[in-house]
Amino acid sequence: MLVISGMMNGAIYGLVALGFVLVYKASAVLNFAQGYMLLFGAYLFWFFRVTVGLPLVLAMIAAVAAGFAGGALIERLTLRRLIGQPLISMVTVTIFLSLVLEGLVSMIWGTYPLQHVAAFPESTIRLGKMVLTTQSLIAFGLALLAAGALIVFFRFTRIGLAMRGVAEGHQIMQSMGISVRRILNVSWGLAGVAATVGGILLGSTLGFQLGMSHIGLLAIPAAFIGGLESPEGAILGGLLIGLIESIVSGYVGNAAGVPAAFVVLILTMLVRPYGFFGLERIERV
Amino acid sequence: MLTLSNVEVKYAGVILVLRGVSLQVPEGKIVALLGSNGAGKTTTLKAISGLLRTELGEVTAGSIEFCGGRIDRVDPEQIARQGIIQVMEGRKVLKHLTVEENLRLGGYIRPAAEVRSDMEMVYAYFPRLREKRTAVTGYLSGGEQQMALIGRAMMARPRLMLLDEPSMGLAPLIVAEIYAIIQRLAAEEGATILLVEQNARAALRISDYAYVMENGRVVLDGPSAALAENEDIREFYLGMGKLGERKNFREVKTYKRRKRWL
Ligand SMILES: Nc1ncnc2c1ncn2[C@@H]1O[C@H](COP(=O)(O)OP(=O)(O)OP(=O)(O)O)[C@@H](O)[C@H]1O
Ligand SMILES: [Mg+2]
Repeated sequence: MLVISGMMNGAIYGLVALGFVLVYKASAVLNFAQGYMLLFGAYLFWFFRVTVGLPLVLAMIAAVAAGFAGGALIERLTLRRLIGQPLISMVTVTIFLSLVLEGLVSMIWGTYPLQHVAAFPESTIRLGKMVLTTQSLIAFGLALLAAGALIVFFRFTRIGLAMRGVAEGHQIMQSMGISVRRILNVSWGLAGVAATVGGILLGSTLGFQLGMSHIGLLAIPAAFIGGLESPEGAILGGLLIGLIESIVSGYVGNAAGVPAAFVVLILTMLVRPYGFFGLERIERV
Repeated sequence: MLTLSNVEVKYAGVILVLRGVSLQVPEGKIVALLGSNGAGKTTTLKAISGLLRTELGEVTAGSIEFCGGRIDRVDPEQIARQGIIQVMEGRKVLKHLTVEENLRLGGYIRPAAEVRSDMEMVYAYFPRLREKRTAVTGYLSGGEQQMALIGRAMMARPRLMLLDEPSMGLAPLIVAEIYAIIQRLAAEEGATILLVEQNARAALRISDYAYVMENGRVVLDGPSAALAENEDIREFYLGMGKLGERKNFREVKTYKRRKRWL
C-alpha cells in the first residue's frame, strides 16, 4: 500500500523533476522556482475549471497552454537578460522568482486552501487487501503519460534535438545558425508544462493549497538523484523519492517523510556527485 | 564575395587584437590565412561569423561586407543563415550526440526535405562518417571528428565556409585525406573557403591566394604559388631555412597547445 501510494506521488515528482532537468540541461540553470511554477499552474487550472467553469479537459488544456506561456515568459523577462552573466545571479533570480510567484498566488487567490475540485471520478478499487482510488490511479497514469510525451519530444523531434544540442554548447549552436534563445525559450515553456500538469494532478488528489509548492520542491532531489542531465533519470528519481517519502511517513510518522527525501539526496550527492544517471563525461581530444 | 577593410577588433573593450586587417575572398576560391599562435587568425574568422560577440569581442573600426551587405553588426545566427558557416578550431563537435544528429543539426536551417539528400552528399565525401553514423561523436578519433565537423558545416550548404585549423593535432595521412576532400569540395561544388592554418605547406598547396598575419596585421599576401617560393615564408613557415629550423624547434617545444608546425 505504501509502495503504491509512494509510486503515485513519485510519478508526479518525476514529471516535475523532468521540467527541472530540461532547463538545467539546456542552460545550466537550477530553477528553484519549479515548485512555485507548479503551484501557479495548479491554481491556473482551478481558475479555468471553477472560476471560468470550463469543462475538465478544456480547463486542463487551457492551464497547460498557460503554463507553457508562463514558463516561456519567465525566460524572456528574466533569464534572457542574464545570458553570459555569472550562473549565481541566474540561480538567485529563480529563488526570488519563487517568492514572487507565491506572492502572486496569495494575492489573487488568498492563502486558504481552495474549494476542492473533483477532477477525476472518485471511486475505489480493491486489489486483494489494497484499496486504490481511481483518482490516484488516473493521476499516476497521466503523470507517466505526460513524462513519456516530453521524453519522446526531447529524443525524437527536431526541436528536441536542438535542445540536446544547446545543452552541449551555445556557441556551437549559434555557429550553425540556430537561435539559442528560441530553444531556451521552448525549454522553459516545457518546464512550465511539466510543472502545470504536475500541479493539476497533485491538486486534484491532495487539494489546492499553498503547501503544494513544498511538494513541488521534492522534484529537486528527484532530479539530483537522477543525475540532473537525464530525463529518464529524473522520472526514476521521482519514483524513488516518492517511495522513500511514503514509506518513511508510514513507518516513522508523517513529519519524517519530506526530510527523509532530502537526507537521501544528501547521501546520494556524497556517494555519487553526478547522481545515478548523470551524463558520462566524455573527455578526450 | 567577402571583403574586410581595415577591421579592428577589441576584446572586452580594451584588448586590441586586430589592428586593421584587410582581405578579400572571391567566390569559388580557396583563400588561406596563415600566421603563428596569437596572430589573430581565429579572431578574424570570428569577426566574420559574428561569434566574436559571444566572447565580448567587438569590431571597433573598419567594415566587413558579404555579398554587398555589411555584416559586422549582425547576430551570429543571422550571419550563418546568410550562408557563412564557421568550422571552429579545437574540434567543437556535439560530443554526446551521434554523428548523424550532428549532421542533422548542421542542416537545421535548411528545408527539412533537403536534409536527407544533403546527408547523402556528406556521406559520399566522407564514407567513414557513414560507417560511424550512429556512433557517439565524442568517442570518434580526432580525424573522424574533424570530418564530422566539416560535414556538419556542409549540411548548411554554406556560400562561404570558414575553416579554422582543420589539420590541428592530426597525423599527416589524415591531414592529406581531409585536404583532398576540401579540394574536391572546391572543385566539384564550387565552394568558397577561407582556410586558417599553421600548417602552411598544406594550406599553400590547396589555396589560390594567401594572407600572412602577424600581431593582428596582414604582413604579406599574394597568390599561393608565389608565396610558397617566398624566402621569408620558406624560412619561417615552411621550416626550410637553416636559421628557421632551429627557431621553429624551440618555439614548437614551448607551445602549450598541441600544434603542427611543418
Ligand atoms: N575571448 C578573448 N578575450 C580576450 N583576448 C582574446 C580572446 N580570444 C583571443 N584573445 C587574444 O587575441 C589574440 C589573438 O588570438 P587568436 O585566437 O585570434 O589567435 P590565432 O591566430 O587564432 O592563434 P592560434 O594559432 O593559437 O589559434 C591572442 O593574444 C589572444 O590572447
Ligand atoms: Mg586560432
